[in-house]
Amino acid sequence: MAEHLAQNRAAKRIVLAKVGLDGHDRGVKVVARALRDAGFHVIYAGLWQTPEAVVRAVADEDADWVGLSILSGAHMTLVPRVLRLLKETGLANVGVLVGGIIPEDEVPKLLELGVARVFGPGTSMPEIVEFLKQNSGARHD
Amino acid sequence: MIERLIERFRHGDRLALARLMSLAARGELPRDTLGALQSSKPARVVAITGSGGVGKSSLVGRLITVVRDQGLKVAVLACDPQSPLSGGALLGDRVRMAGKPDDDGVFIRSLAALSGQSALAAHLDTMIRLCEAFGMEVVLIETAGAGQGDTAVHALADVVVLLLQPETGDDLQREKAGVFEVADVLVVHKADMPGAEQAFAQVRAAAELATPPVPVLKASARTGEGLAELWRLVAGRPLRRQADQVDKDLLVAIQEELARRFESALAGGVKGVRDLVSRWRQGSVSSHEAATAVLDLLLNEP
Ligand SMILES: Nc1nc2c(ncn2[C@@H]2O[C@H](COP(=O)(O)OP(=O)(O)O)[C@@H](O)[C@H]2O)c(=O)[nH]1
Ligand SMILES: [Mg+2]
Repeated sequence: MAEHLAQNRAAKRIVLAKVGLDGHDRGVKVVARALRDAGFHVIYAGLWQTPEAVVRAVADEDADWVGLSILSGAHMTLVPRVLRLLKETGLANVGVLVGGIIPEDEVPKLLELGVARVFGPGTSMPEIVEFLKQNSGARHD
Repeated sequence: MIERLIERFRHGDRLALARLMSLAARGELPRDTLGALQSSKPARVVAITGSGGVGKSSLVGRLITVVRDQGLKVAVLACDPQSPLSGGALLGDRVRMAGKPDDDGVFIRSLAALSGQSALAAHLDTMIRLCEAFGMEVVLIETAGAGQGDTAVHALADVVVLLLQPETGDDLQREKAGVFEVADVLVVHKADMPGAEQAFAQVRAAAELATPPVPVLKASARTGEGLAELWRLVAGRPLRRQADQVDKDLLVAIQEELARRFESALAGGVKGVRDLVSRWRQGSVSSHEAATAVLDLLLNEP
């Protein structure tokens, strides 16, 4: 129990949002539950989020990570926009993850832009959890 | 590091507010920090409580707009349960509070409440004070379900609004004593649903019998019905915390005055007082007896 409390005190916070105009949020919700069960504080921001709304959520929630789920194919416009807004807001240190259907050859471009990791449709939950545990997300100094 | 944060906070940097909230949530905000962050004006703290699914988040989302239309700045502290096993939490309240992301007059924070213990996140009082010191004029608290947190909610908030489902009329009969003790306003929510009218009549009949009677109204986050009226009621209530604070401030002032008189009586050699102190030192009177006797002497001093 004491261990859990200690763990909780250090619980990392991650904002999950679905950006773009496509329909459902089943995938994000599965990820959200898996991360909760792994001890994260998951702030689910919902469907159809604009980059502006996502960045506001990251700011107010003091998140370590933000996970963007994108199925609409608009990632090459939406992701750079989120990254730019994060930088402008003073949140360049927040770790950015992208999930969804991203063509193989565009993954390196996203990483180049500053995305920490891209998770494709086949990614297992333990893989995501493991990555988040190995990496720190936002650096707080 | 904390000094820099505070400096930024004072200049209205909301990232500093967000970070200080994290420190507060973890119980890591030093006491004297808060003292340095006195707010000029107390906020109106309104708790929205009720069972899961009754529509608390949706209603808070609507109230944000109502409050902003009055030109007031608003902070939302939304509590959701934390898993006792993993320590993790799924905080989904802000989904229903979509507003304008560029409105600096709205700050929304999702908080984890230890499940089974309370419907409130730990250190909520500190977080409320941070919001006040940042200049927020209204603080809306969403509790994580109704549950055992209710009396704590009453202590933290100026106004407690309890939401009831249209079908909970019968439940209310069973638990009405407790309900009327904690709630300042009762809302039969989801008024757009069938059965709302009947529940409203039942709840109102019960609420009128309470002493003092508790106001009841119908509202719907879906249609917007009753929201303006709800805010009018809430805004018309006295600031309970402020009254408590006045009491506490007065008590502290009385204690200080007594301490001053006691010290001057000792130094000035008021005989009765000195005698009592030396008898107490010898152990021939108890602390309580000595204190009572000293108090009598001090209060009868011209
Ligand atoms: N019919 C109706 N449904 C509502 C209303 N407000 C919320 N809901 C629905 O009730 C469910 C729970 O709402 P939510 O705000 O998350 O409740 P909470 O758990 O108390 O925060 C959601 O499916 C909402 O769409 C309302 O005024 N009328
Ligand atoms: Mg809710």
